[in-house]
Amino acid sequence: MSVVEESIKTKEISKPKAAPIGNRILDFLSSVRFGVVLLCILVFLSILGMLFIQQNVQGFDASFAMRTPAEKLVYGSLGLFDIYNSWYYNGLLLVLSLNIVLASIDRFPSAWKYISEPKLSATRGWLLNQPQNAVIRIHGNNESEIAQRIKKAFDENGFTPRITEDVSKSYATDDEGKKDFSRTESKKSLFVFGEKGRVNRLGAYVVHVFLLTLFLGHFVANQTGFDADIRLSPDTNQAIQRDFNVAQQTDAIQLIEINLDKQERYNVLLPFTITCTEIEQKLIDQNGSIEINNTLDWRTQIKIDDPAYGQTVADVSLNKPFSYRGYRFFQASAITMGSASEMTLELRPEKEGEKPITVILKRNETAQLPDGTKIAYNTFLPDFVMQGGQPSTKSGDYANPAVVLDVTQPNGELTKIYAFANKLPDNAPVNAPKAGYRWRLASYEKSPLAHVLSIKYDPFSAAFIAWYIGGFGLIGALIFVFFISHKRVWAMIGKKGENEFEIVFGGNANRNHLAFEDKFKTIVESLASNNLSEQKNQEV
Amino acid sequence: MEEVNKIQNEVFTAREKAAKPTSFSSYLPAILALVGAFVMLGLRFQVGTEFVSDTALMMLALACYILAALFQLTNLYAPSEMAQKIGLWGATLGVFFNLASWLVRWVNAYDFELVQLQASGNPESPWIFRYIPFANLYDLSLAFAFGAGITTLFLAHRKNFQFLSAFTLPLAALILTLARFIGGEYSNLMPILDSYWRPIHVGVASLSYGIALVCFAIAVVYLLKDKVKVEAMAIFSSIFAIAVIGSISGGSVFTQAAYRAGMFMPNPSGGKPFNAFFRFELPFVGWALVISGILLAGVIIAFLAYLYQNNEKAKEIGHILLKAAFIVQIVAVAFWVTGIKSSTNVQANMQAQLEKNPAQYLKVGQEIASKQQLSAQEFAAITPKQFEQAGRQHFQNNGNKMFLSLNTNPVEFAGLLTALAGTFFVILFAFRTETLRERLPSLESLDSLMYKTACLAFAGLAMLLITGAIWANESWGRPWGFDSKETGALVAWLTYAAFLHTRISRGWRGRSSAYFAILGFLLVIFTYLGVSYLLPGLHSYA
Repeated sequence: MSVVEESIKTKEISKPKAAPIGNRILDFLSSVRFGVVLLCILVFLSILGMLFIQQNVQGFDASFAMRTPAEKLVYGSLGLFDIYNSWYYNGLLLVLSLNIVLASIDRFPSAWKYISEPKLSATRGWLLNQPQNAVIRIHGNNESEIAQRIKKAFDENGFTPRITEDVSKSYATDDEGKKDFSRTESKKSLFVFGEKGRVNRLGAYVVHVFLLTLFLGHFVANQTGFDADIRLSPDTNQAIQRDFNVAQQTDAIQLIEINLDKQERYNVLLPFTITCTEIEQKLIDQNGSIEINNTLDWRTQIKIDDPAYGQTVADVSLNKPFSYRGYRFFQASAITMGSASEMTLELRPEKEGEKPITVILKRNETAQLPDGTKIAYNTFLPDFVMQGGQPSTKSGDYANPAVVLDVTQPNGELTKIYAFANKLPDNAPVNAPKAGYRWRLASYEKSPLAHVLSIKYDPFSAAFIAWYIGGFGLIGALIFVFFISHKRVWAMIGKKGENEFEIVFGGNANRNHLAFEDKFKTIVESLASNNLSEQKNQEV
Repeated sequence: MEEVNKIQNEVFTAREKAAKPTSFSSYLPAILALVGAFVMLGLRFQVGTEFVSDTALMMLALACYILAALFQLTNLYAPSEMAQKIGLWGATLGVFFNLASWLVRWVNAYDFELVQLQASGNPESPWIFRYIPFANLYDLSLAFAFGAGITTLFLAHRKNFQFLSAFTLPLAALILTLARFIGGEYSNLMPILDSYWRPIHVGVASLSYGIALVCFAIAVVYLLKDKVKVEAMAIFSSIFAIAVIGSISGGSVFTQAAYRAGMFMPNPSGGKPFNAFFRFELPFVGWALVISGILLAGVIIAFLAYLYQNNEKAKEIGHILLKAAFIVQIVAVAFWVTGIKSSTNVQANMQAQLEKNPAQYLKVGQEIASKQQLSAQEFAAITPKQFEQAGRQHFQNNGNKMFLSLNTNPVEFAGLLTALAGTFFVILFAFRTETLRERLPSLESLDSLMYKTACLAFAGLAMLLITGAIWANESWGRPWGFDSKETGALVAWLTYAAFLHTRISRGWRGRSSAYFAILGFLLVIFTYLGVSYLLPGLHSYA
């Protein structure tokens, strides 16, 4: 083998130099193909999360208990019961964000080129290969006049026109029309280029910016904030507060941490004290239950005592949260143990001939009778029953409602009195006169025992930024992308005879092709209609 | 060059066929349907409660959709100007009745609650948007069908797209059928839903679902036009039908050859009855479904043999099996309806069924316990015997109250009807397939329309997700919680995102796009129905 042969062979087998590994990784990370694969994995994992009941969803405990120990171990180790907080799901979102950023950077220059350097001229073949194309012949004095006519037509149809002259080089043709590759010939042509909606080419980048704002804001909100709840009741009765784990005044909220079938609650101290002054439940049927399907609204009145900012009174209603120092208070649910916010008592004096007295008593308040008797609210029992010698309630329903009152007679004697809503016979021991009166609960305004408020702490308002700016921005950007299209039309003018010119039209749009087709037809027809026209569509 | 010429000719044909929209007048059917529905709303205010009911209007819409689809189908096989016109105006009437039903329902819902408020002496007068009919799956189904209908009408402003009604309106009719079986009883709104975000969020949802439905129909038509073999379509429709049959009745059809229908228990407050825990076995339905499942499996095997081995005999057998499966599916549905209508002495029959199959007691006991919000440890401490005992106790206490109704299994019934419709359309496509293909618009215009509707569906689903998150943030400070319906909508949105990205950047068009569009719509349907009925979550009301 000669040296020459060797060198030739070596050259033949030498491979093109591979791009640096860093570039290849960047190319891979910024590729749309990789992005689509990530989307597919995200879809798959999200579906898994739907099929496996997640640990924060109601009903998880029962479904978890029914699983075998092996399932608990395997699925639990894979994080399938809390998939959306798993490291791999978050990692996937991070890589997807990276892909969006890199793909946008990678493709931005070519998109920008559409705006900064539009293609003003083209060859006849290129124009005829466009999705919309047409060739017409029209009469005119010269090419400039024809160009002005086309410009006007473009303008009238909303396209921004530009006239340019271009010299195109092509292979010469012989008499039979065959290309002669040994000769080239230059040809001057006048072009009219029109376009519309070119900024639409940047729409995808705007979408990505808002999408990333959304991701980032949500991530920051999750990292810097927390969710908690607080069970508030205006009732000052210590036993009720203890039995139902509710507070009337507190400076702590409860943070719940779920780990599979274990729930742990942590108290988080607030920089202020909350006092529940009243709760109210607006009912549809005022005689009906306080269940959710008979409810119009819940309202909790709270008082905040803040050493830094003083006292604030606020209402928290459904869909009307209250914000204070980065904490937002929302109505979450109610403890549907029957209670009453305002009661009307009917007192029949023991002494005959005296008129009955009507007293309106609010929860936690006192009232005084003309004779000096003081009536203080103690507690409300919706389904009164005596248990172990103590008044109690059998259920949360208003089956046998009674209010327990602490009555102080003018002589200072303190008596516990039960006023029942149900009519009792006069000779019933429980309806015997006490403190000089027969007591009856004439009416009462239904209210649950306690409201549960959920609290969102978001010190940087990141959720607001994410969903209002990122979210609305995304909607606006998508509308911009999909409802506007970049339409381009070219017209190449060529002289064909005395006062006769051929115009080759070509056009394309990046979306909404059917509407563009109509527009294109309108332009071509408007120019052809006044002339000896010979519309030849699809000349190749 | 020949290939280029072919494509160019196709473009030319499309251009020729695509009758240029004649501006305003081409939108007249859609405009008339919308205006007419609002006139009906005005009449409802004038006439009061004596006015035609919203459910009657819904049934009229259903009838018009079926009629319009039939005429458009006729026009495809035997072109006739008259059939096309009846198809178009039938669709217009359908959309008109559909929207009118929804609007009248709004006023009726207001009256329903006002009566309750006034009867209890409640002076409250809630705002009108509290009653907007987006409160449950019935309302959403009405709006979903309207979304599909109005999108079809708007697209029909181009004459060559009027044929779409033949494919979209049967699907809209199926949704209305589902609504019919869900039942249109009024119920008090859950208080958390009383937000101005609800009409925005759910309105966007129903319209984007409707657009996704139209996109799906275009994708199917595209595949048909693109010469995808009808036999391949039959394989997919058969897989779908087998999946439906296999998943209904808790999977008992293929495992026990039994179909058990859900039952109701009366609502003491007089509203919509509650679902009972027990299911009642309907005679013959299980066997009919098993036979149709076997026939459909035969269809799959025969057509696979044809497609991969070019076995003409297998093709012939496959088509016979397909027709047989269609007939047996009809029989199964007929048994289902007559079984429910003619069942008497439910308690005694149920008792006899439970004696033969006591496993239901255990399952019911577990369901009862799961509703008690027990901790996992408390739940695990309950023995199977205790669960069974709880089930028996429940039946003893409530067995006499349970009753069967056509409305107890809306999703299962709609699933069976959809499977039946799928089989019907495949049989139809197999009839004079080439003639049908010729009459469809060009591949280019179908592809373009599919892309356009996918873009709209994508933008709509994005709006749905964002408005939902903002509503959730305003209502309970948690914009995104991966609730199953949220996740379902996100998954559908991501699928459409993948569709658009593969198209824009990878140049995937035509068939690939059509498959994505079909997958996207299946996920939309799963979000719309599957999540509501199968998975727990915050959106179980709709």
